[in-house]
Amino acid sequence: MIRALYTAASGMLAQQMNLDNIANNLANASTTGFHNRRLQFQDLIYQNTVVPGSAATQQTTLPAGLQVGLGVRPASSEIIQTEGNFDATGNPLDLAIQGNGFFQVTLPTGDLAYTRSGAFHLDQNGNVVDEQGDSLTPNITIPSNALSITVGTDGTVSVTLPAQIQAQQVGAIQLATFANPGGLNSVGQNLFQPTTASGDAILGTPGGSDGVGSIQQGNLEESNVSVVSEFVNMIIAQRSYEANSRVIRAADEMFQTVNGLTQ
Amino acid sequence: MDSGYYVAYAGFAARMQALDVVASNLANASTSGYKSQSPFYRALAAAQEGEVLSPLNQAVNKFGILGGSRVDVRSGSLQPTGVATDLAIEGDGYFTVQTMAGIRYTRNGSFQLNAARQLTTQDGDLVLAEQGTKLVPITVPTGAVSVSPDGTISVDGALVAKLHIVQFAPGTEIEPEGNSKYIAPAGSERTAVGENVRQGMLESSNINPVAGAVDLIVLQRQADMMSRALSVLNTDFNRPATLDVPRV
Repeated sequence: MIRALYTAASGMLAQQMNLDNIANNLANASTTGFHNRRLQFQDLIYQNTVVPGSAATQQTTLPAGLQVGLGVRPASSEIIQTEGNFDATGNPLDLAIQGNGFFQVTLPTGDLAYTRSGAFHLDQNGNVVDEQGDSLTPNITIPSNALSITVGTDGTVSVTLPAQIQAQQVGAIQLATFANPGGLNSVGQNLFQPTTASGDAILGTPGGSDGVGSIQQGNLEESNVSVVSEFVNMIIAQRSYEANSRVIRAADEMFQTVNGLTQ
Repeated sequence: MDSGYYVAYAGFAARMQALDVVASNLANASTSGYKSQSPFYRALAAAQEGEVLSPLNQAVNKFGILGGSRVDVRSGSLQPTGVATDLAIEGDGYFTVQTMAGIRYTRNGSFQLNAARQLTTQDGDLVLAEQGTKLVPITVPTGAVSVSPDGTISVDGALVAKLHIVQFAPGTEIEPEGNSKYIAPAGSERTAVGENVRQGMLESSNINPVAGAVDLIVLQRQADMMSRALSVLNTDFNRPATLDVPRV
């Protein structure tokens, strides 16, 4: 009975963490470029009363062992890489990636970080920066007298200056891909950093054969959270939590019965 | 009285003491930086092994008593508060504070500034920073305080002090002293590496309500078992021994 109590407690804890994850997904349902995470669970070790495959007699083997599991634990939360819907905003510096890539930005500490959120702005020197002021890398500077900014699907940034008909190219945006984007480290602020699990960033030219996707100007990628799936997951988490609490109650009542044997 | 009676009583008393620990955990569910304690039991041999036992002392019981309680050093979840002097450590480091009884360590980062603009805990104990090899209190000038992830405090961009954050080797006996402070054996602290100090957040208690509830159930049922054993031993053994045998 005590084993059942702790096993059920591990189930309740796992569902609590599941609910925490679902809450984070739902809270970020309108965050640009957010990718939801899905928790994966693993069963814990098993207690072997009879090891499977042990011999019954010298000639025969027991067909099945006697193993009791000890519960569940959350093993990992992987980032789901499906693309969110595009929201057409019309802003010349709102960029969305159609495909697998990430924008590369440089943090104030000098480290590189990656993001799917393409809501860029200009800082006081005309550099293209994200909402925190981290500059897009490789850096692109827009002249202050530019009339309009055009970003092609291959990342080429060109501006039209006054009294000029021909647009001038000022730079090209490159996108990064990873061998295992599910292993990126979420550091908050819509940013990811590479880890040993994700592999190093591989920079490529958008729209080409590098497989990094293409850039759509004037669009923002919405969060890929499906509110309906999260609600369904929430119902499952809640009912599993209740089911585990029933197990605790049943084990408690059985324990009470044992104590009532002596009179 | 045979020793079975005392063993059952010792078990019952141990469960009552463990209940105190569990209750204290649950009561501190909203204390920031609180680390839950888990009681553990140990066996106490009534007689030494191999000793020649006299016919009158045939104690074969290993009493199960409370051996102590272990502090669960896992970190609690972080909650944003927005107060510039609220700090939380992401990792297993501790802040160092100077109390009247000596150097103590704490995880409770809800600091404030006293009248002399020194950084203190809620009890008024000074928070210490490192200056070379010495530990000194921190005086914060007026202005916007910002704390970087490695514990450096700066005001309006100017460096003020670096918080002294320590770590302990796993298994070091960190004892809670009360008021969110911990005592550790002298010399066991090491300067923390790779700690992440978050400004404007507080670490909530790391108690686990589910584990607390399950512990309560288990303690209650085991205490019940001990009390049944006590009543059986009393009714069926001790009482006949004291009442019926002398009547012979």
